[in-house]
Amino acid sequence: MMDPNPLSVILVKSDSKGDRLLFRYPYTTDARSEAGQQNRRRNPYALTITEDLLQTPPPQTSNICNGHLTGFSDEVLSTLFAVKPELCERKFELKVNDVRFVGHPTVLSDSIILTNIVFALHATASHSIVKCYYDLSKRLGIALRHEERRCGYLSQETKTMVMAHDEVAARPEGEKPEDADSPFNLILERSTLARNLKAVYDDLISMGVVHVRVNRWIEVSFCLPQKVHQFDKKDFIIEPESIHRCLQSLRPYHGLLLLVESSELLNHLPPDASPALVRLVRMYSPLKSLQTLAADADLTVSQVFQLAGHLLYWARATVIYPLCESNVYVIAPDSPTHVSSPLIERFSEHFPGMNLLQVMSDFSLPTSISLKINPLNHPQHQSQLVQMIVWMLQHRLLLQLHTYVYFMPTANGPRLPQERLVRQQSHSMHQSSTRDGSYQSTPDEQFSVSVGGFMGGRAPSESDLSSNISDDVLVTPGSKLNGLPIQTSSSLVSADTEVSFVSALEEEKSSLVREELLADFSDEERTAILKIPAAANPEDLHLLARLCHQGYLRGYHHLEEIMYLENIRRSQLLQLLDKFRDVLVTCETEDPAIAMFYSHSYT
Amino acid sequence: MEEDTRYFEGCGHEGPIRCIFLCEFHPVAGPKITCQVPEEYVSKEIFDAVSVYIIPKPQLQRSILTVNVLGYKITGFPVRIDNTKYARNAYYFNLCFVCDAWARTVQYEPVVKKLSEYLMTMEQETGFLSNENKTENEKVRLPAILKQILEDLNCHKMTTVIEGTTTMHLKVVKVASDPPHVSDHHVPIFIVDQNMYREQQWDLTTQQVLPYINGFNHVAKIAAEADVENNLVKACVQNLVYYGAVKLIPIFQYCNVYAATPELRYLAGSKKFQEECLLYVSKLDSNPPNLRDVFMMYCSMTHGTTLRDLCVRFNPQALRIDERKLVQFGLLHKLIRRVHKYPVFVEGKSHLNHMTPLEQAFSGLASSDEICCITGLSSQQLDEEIECNPGVTVIWK
Repeated sequence: MMDPNPLSVILVKSDSKGDRLLFRYPYTTDARSEAGQQNRRRNPYALTITEDLLQTPPPQTSNICNGHLTGFSDEVLSTLFAVKPELCERKFELKVNDVRFVGHPTVLSDSIILTNIVFALHATASHSIVKCYYDLSKRLGIALRHEERRCGYLSQETKTMVMAHDEVAARPEGEKPEDADSPFNLILERSTLARNLKAVYDDLISMGVVHVRVNRWIEVSFCLPQKVHQFDKKDFIIEPESIHRCLQSLRPYHGLLLLVESSELLNHLPPDASPALVRLVRMYSPLKSLQTLAADADLTVSQVFQLAGHLLYWARATVIYPLCESNVYVIAPDSPTHVSSPLIERFSEHFPGMNLLQVMSDFSLPTSISLKINPLNHPQHQSQLVQMIVWMLQHRLLLQLHTYVYFMPTANGPRLPQERLVRQQSHSMHQSSTRDGSYQSTPDEQFSVSVGGFMGGRAPSESDLSSNISDDVLVTPGSKLNGLPIQTSSSLVSADTEVSFVSALEEEKSSLVREELLADFSDEERTAILKIPAAANPEDLHLLARLCHQGYLRGYHHLEEIMYLENIRRSQLLQLLDKFRDVLVTCETEDPAIAMFYSHSYT
Repeated sequence: MEEDTRYFEGCGHEGPIRCIFLCEFHPVAGPKITCQVPEEYVSKEIFDAVSVYIIPKPQLQRSILTVNVLGYKITGFPVRIDNTKYARNAYYFNLCFVCDAWARTVQYEPVVKKLSEYLMTMEQETGFLSNENKTENEKVRLPAILKQILEDLNCHKMTTVIEGTTTMHLKVVKVASDPPHVSDHHVPIFIVDQNMYREQQWDLTTQQVLPYINGFNHVAKIAAEADVENNLVKACVQNLVYYGAVKLIPIFQYCNVYAATPELRYLAGSKKFQEECLLYVSKLDSNPPNLRDVFMMYCSMTHGTTLRDLCVRFNPQALRIDERKLVQFGLLHKLIRRVHKYPVFVEGKSHLNHMTPLEQAFSGLASSDEICCITGLSSQQLDEEIECNPGVTVIWK
């Protein structure tokens, strides 16, 4: 199985006095296990062939023992990683049996001193994991170079570590106590750099997020997305590429769900954090779409997308469709159901008297908040219900189902106007939307953010926002959901939307218009549509034709997206779907844009 | 230009062997390339930068080493032969494959190792590598061999080289990820033409098991019908999964619940896919069902709706749909996924020791399929057991 954890971190230097391994962590007593390995034969019944052609000892095929690096002496590692000058300042990757070493050999002051912080990984770790570790090695190397130039930090640390090595080596044989026979204990006591490297290793193993201050001065932060997004789901790995893909398919109607308390997040931000991020977190609510958040925090949508990208990458937030009464949730296929899952205890700490498994079983069938809310219930019950849903979404136990609509008027199936075009469209979605997007204000985007994809130049208007929300917003009075920070902003107040295209058509009701509306359709399809009584109403017919024409009825757009793009209300859309149900097929599935945060049994 | 975008580090594609070279440790000059095909692919400068990884310290002898720097990915298996006839009482050599930095190269590792071992034998028998007084004829042998290996492995993935008394058989075997664990309740189904596997190329157990793999029998049933030990069947199915011959799907039952996945939109969008689907799910070969009916059945699959409910609602027989094939096709193409049922013990007895084996199975780890397979209960009996036990709740996921 792919394992994102590091096996070891190794610090090697090379200078005028030659190369040396200064520090490695963890440094378990390697020699003993090695000796044991030699004595033990794999199979007691195996023949020992004396005249074996391979006179040298049997080859080693694994250098991993109980999750630790084994079989490499300090000297071997030091010659391997004190690289030739040609290999400096670029990626260094070496695989020995089942271990992969990666590092960024860094040259310090006047290219005399070379330092290399190397991470030993499982060879099966994916390329993206290796790349992340390379990046970490590079960052640490740059910090060290800076501190060396500023105050000779590394020279001093090197001296301390070499001294400790020599001290232990100089001790007479007999005096060496058993456990302290490694100089690394001493180094760990004396050197801040060694302690930093230990902290890096420990942080990577425990959380996947590293925050260290090199020489108590240079902050090095690093996040291993493959680890930090793992949560309690073993064997589930999110590659950074899929996070980037998620960001590309993000739309302004999506919302953020913080995975930590917003106060905690604000407290842990570094002092030089972007004030925009602080504003965003202050305005945050899981009920708000990214667009609303942008308006409330007085930021551009593209800025909010950028910040959301950061929060997502660092696993501080996840993407959801903003909470509202009509959202339908169901148990995620990969949610742990084991009776002794640690989540159960954490849940009952949060919600005394509640059993997680019992609550989860309530979501065995697709359930919405409006279905569960009983007007006779105490309002506190309802707020607790919402908070439980939030908690389960934060732990990725719940999955939201969306309704997708397919236009299928004839028995032969859906319309395939220009089959190839449809495919292309769906693939080039990102490109086109990034071109349309209005995020030029931030030229340094690491990930491309698409703003208002599909909108084809139409700027999101005020009414977009309000109509999108007015239907969906959970409950207007904040008292009902006192557990959640509902920001009553002006945008939440529903403004009557003007449905312009309907008025434009009001005067023309003749069959001529009808013919014109259905000009794109084949004869068969036209007959099927016209058979439906609702087709007599030009408004309805026009809307249907329009949705078809825009390609919204091909299973790529869920109801909420259509509502957003076409600026119509949920009730209006639902009525239309009901009226034309004979030519439509609906389907409930998850939104693939944000489904990568769940491991699916079908993938 | 197109190559640049397709092949980058981490793209996961396998790459061709660009070069094969033999490196020796010269008693005076140190590590040097003595034979390279094609010549000068790895320059002197590059080699000097990486030579420490080609002829490494004694501790790393006979380890597979791959170094990826400066745009070259070099895989070797350093070997030392001790003998007093050599200048330093030992002869060091390493036969290396060179690939592009972006390429995946694990598949070459066993080949490099095997080839090194052949060369080691030849060196020990005749001094094939180290002999300094070769005739003109002998000198061209090694480059010719390496050239043949390079070309054959790149084109045919295998080669046989005969040199003197040694015959070298080399084959590049694709390294796939570890196959999943196979359980009693899994159903293997062929995803390639089954007739390809009818031939006598499999071991006896597999040959005995193959006829019972039909996409409906689960592993325990196959074991019983083929009269093969259960664990052997599992090993055999796992092997077939590894080679991409079969896939594992859940058992078919009318009380199963399935849910549509977002992949369904690809069915709506591709004529070819639709034709393939209709052909597969058709009850009669001559008269395939309507796509809309098939599509509607898939779309109606959701949490809380069993296949039996759907059959009652749609009557697939009348629509010329074979519902068993419908489910099979959906699962194989991930249009639908099974929604498993997990009986979980929520309250009541807390000590595992006081529980019956059945109650212990309600740990939330085993799905109802697994429990039925272990206990031998039918799913109906299991439902009754769950019904009777107030401390048990059911989670569908």
